[in-house]
Amino acid sequence: MSSLLDKARLMMNIHCLGRNLVTASSSLHCVQLPAQKEAHFWYVLPDEIKDTNLLNQYFEILSPSEKESVFRMTGELLKKRAILARALVRTTLARYQINCQIDPKALKFKKNRYGKPEVDLQYTEDWKLPQLRFNISHTSSLIACGVTVGSPIGIDVEEKQRRLKNDVLAFARRYFSPDEIEMLTKIADPELRRLELIKLWTLKEAYVKAVGKGFSNLPFNTFTFQFGNRLKTGIHLRPHVMSKAHEITVEPPDDSKNISGNWQFVLLELYGSHYAAICIEQESTNRGKGSIPVNLMLRKTIPFVEDECIFGTDKAVVIGGLTTLLEC
Amino acid sequence: MAANALTGASISMRPLLSQLNQTPACSLISGSSSVLASSFGKRNVSFSLRSRSIRLTVSCAAKQETVDKVCAIVKKQLALPDDSTVNGESKFSALGADSLDTVEIVMGLEEEFGISVEEDSAQSITTVQEAADLIEEIIQKKC
Repeated sequence: MSSLLDKARLMMNIHCLGRNLVTASSSLHCVQLPAQKEAHFWYVLPDEIKDTNLLNQYFEILSPSEKESVFRMTGELLKKRAILARALVRTTLARYQINCQIDPKALKFKKNRYGKPEVDLQYTEDWKLPQLRFNISHTSSLIACGVTVGSPIGIDVEEKQRRLKNDVLAFARRYFSPDEIEMLTKIADPELRRLELIKLWTLKEAYVKAVGKGFSNLPFNTFTFQFGNRLKTGIHLRPHVMSKAHEITVEPPDDSKNISGNWQFVLLELYGSHYAAICIEQESTNRGKGSIPVNLMLRKTIPFVEDECIFGTDKAVVIGGLTTLLEC
Repeated sequence: MAANALTGASISMRPLLSQLNQTPACSLISGSSSVLASSFGKRNVSFSLRSRSIRLTVSCAAKQETVDKVCAIVKKQLALPDDSTVNGESKFSALGADSLDTVEIVMGLEEEFGISVEEDSAQSITTVQEAADLIEEIIQKKC
């Protein structure tokens, strides 16, 4: 902990000294853009970040309206979470800019017609900015940002321990599709049932967020998640509980509102304590030829301090969806 | 100005409050001997009541009561302490509600008020007051 403090202080000192010469992003490690069919997943663990100097540094890169939003949050923990979420988005996106020359503070955001936040690339003519797409999700213990180039992306993270205030089946009956309710009802163990519900919830959230048209344009009970075993082509087992051998598909693949797309899903378990669902759109030319795995690169970060590539470790395990985890 | 006796007249009154209601559609001053109702197409009709107690069946919930109930449901869902400040202006997101909390809150409201909330309405609720207003609107349609 003290080394983190020292590191952060060092960073602060460097900034103070070289403020005119050096942009904030120079202490951000730059990374290569995600390739096509590739998604990057960055996350922060709020409990690891305690240094108020560092939090101030994050606060400083926020826009005025983001700062206002932070002030509106009730309580220190929520304020901290809000700061970290916005700082994660800005610092993450800044890393992909050519030669890291964009100051995270300079990034501008806009909302699509339905209110989904997107990067606003129009503010500058000089830079050739990549068409970065992103989506964030946060729980009290993990804040994540997913990034792609070109493909719409939606992510959702939930704590496995999350208790619903309502009965699991009552909740499913209210919000999920008939097939999903049936699937959940067949799970005898209540704890297992609750976990499957949370998995389904994260997948549904990630999907709706990827589509980006809002909850009411794609009500949760109008689509069903199915898990198929791709080893037995053409035969979908309809298991009750998802496993990593399973391909995750959504039915119907498109609907009357013209949400057509080849949506692919990944479900991860992080630190044994969180589920994370990622949804991206693959090219439609792949449809019918069998699914191509989603290439996924995971990184844990403390912006301006350190990044860790999460690969070949049980900190992150794929538990559903065809995925190839990439080394950074 | 004819003074119509209230008996025999069925008037559906919007929220009857002992304090002034902020809704422009309905301003009632009770506690005195005259009642002024400015809504329902009757403007400035006054009924003078002479030492008669009024008994009106109010089937629509009082605004403040609705807000208070919503606050209670929100506090319960978000596990906030009883003394935490939650009022009409409170934004769900500012209280720390995520999307799962919000749909659970909607479920709680449906149960508490015996109503059904459409998905597009549910999506538009961001504050306690908006939730209370929506509930009243739905209830009103049932009245």
